[in-house]
Amino acid sequence: MAAQRLSVALITAQSTVYEGEADMVVAPAWDGELGILRGHAPLMALLGSGEMRITRGGAEERFFVAGGFLQVADDVVSVLSETAEKR
Amino acid sequence: MAKSQDIKRRIRSVEKTRQITRTMEMVATSKLKKMSDLVHAARPYSERLGEVIGRLTDPELRERYPLLRQPETARRAAVLLLTSNRGLAGAFNVNLIREARQLMQRLRKDGTEVELHVVGKKGIGYFRFQGVEMASRRMDVPDRREPEHAAELVDELRERFAAEALDAVYVVYAQYRSALSTPPRTLKVLPVEPPQEKADEAAGSRAAEANYILSPGADAILNELLPLYVRNSVYRALVETAAAEQGARRTAMKNATDNAGDILDNLRRTYNRARQAQITQEIAEIVGGAAALE
Repeated sequence: MAAQRLSVALITAQSTVYEGEADMVVAPAWDGELGILRGHAPLMALLGSGEMRITRGGAEERFFVAGGFLQVADDVVSVLSETAEKR
Repeated sequence: MAKSQDIKRRIRSVEKTRQITRTMEMVATSKLKKMSDLVHAARPYSERLGEVIGRLTDPELRERYPLLRQPETARRAAVLLLTSNRGLAGAFNVNLIREARQLMQRLRKDGTEVELHVVGKKGIGYFRFQGVEMASRRMDVPDRREPEHAAELVDELRERFAAEALDAVYVVYAQYRSALSTPPRTLKVLPVEPPQEKADEAAGSRAAEANYILSPGADAILNELLPLYVRNSVYRALVETAAAEQGARRTAMKNATDNAGDILDNLRRTYNRARQAQITQEIAEIVGGAAALE
């Protein structure tokens, strides 16, 4: 059951804004929105600014991120951004 | 009589001093807690950033990125020294200043021109007194450091490094190993040196095999991330120094409080002895006087 979900971390220089499991992550990549589900190929992408959504079992959490970087590997999604805020 | 009065006055004075140092110790303890939380909160970000950069960099790229270039001889280097605005922190600032001076000496011996940037009243005061020229001075970095402060400090240096006006940038800061151990450290922020073991691991293991999709491409990603990495290194140095300062102050004030206690013990003993001696003498005088009357 462990790999049923993505494990997501949203980290800024000052704190870890979000850490947990999710079914889907939608992030504002530099060239448009980017959705990530389980089993996504390894990816590194630059982020633009916009809304990031983390969905888990129907519930959705939204964050604002400005710039930064997203990495996906082995169903682990790490988002590094200088600015990230829960909204 | 006069003597015991003097001692009493000193006892009162030392008691007041001890009260002050004890308060400062407690203030430092509570600030230390906040600052060390910041240090810990900053760790995941810089670790991952280092990891990613280590993964993306390979030696061939070195030539192409201004921030990765490795000058063979450093003609001009910048030293950014972080000190505190307040004193009463024991040898904290002295250690940092000594580290910076040794670094500058070493660089000068290799024929490098050095410019000195100082943050914090204590460092500025020292170098002004010594008549050493400082390229920039800042006293307005608050205890609670934000990433923006790091950006303000290092962005200009980074641009000059990219434009080849500087060949190396060092930060001298206090590492926060624990509240009791805050040694001064020198960190070379430019040229960027990705964490070595991470790079090796990436070269050999699954990370390299994983074949990342890179969007928009390794070049663009590195261009974006390298400045972030530099800024983050300085930010970490800033928060660690802030935490280290409180740690050093707490230790210094604890020692001061303990010493005041020792002095008080001694003074009280002397005072009681003097009082006793006086009483004994008075009794002797009375007895002597009574004996004379008989």
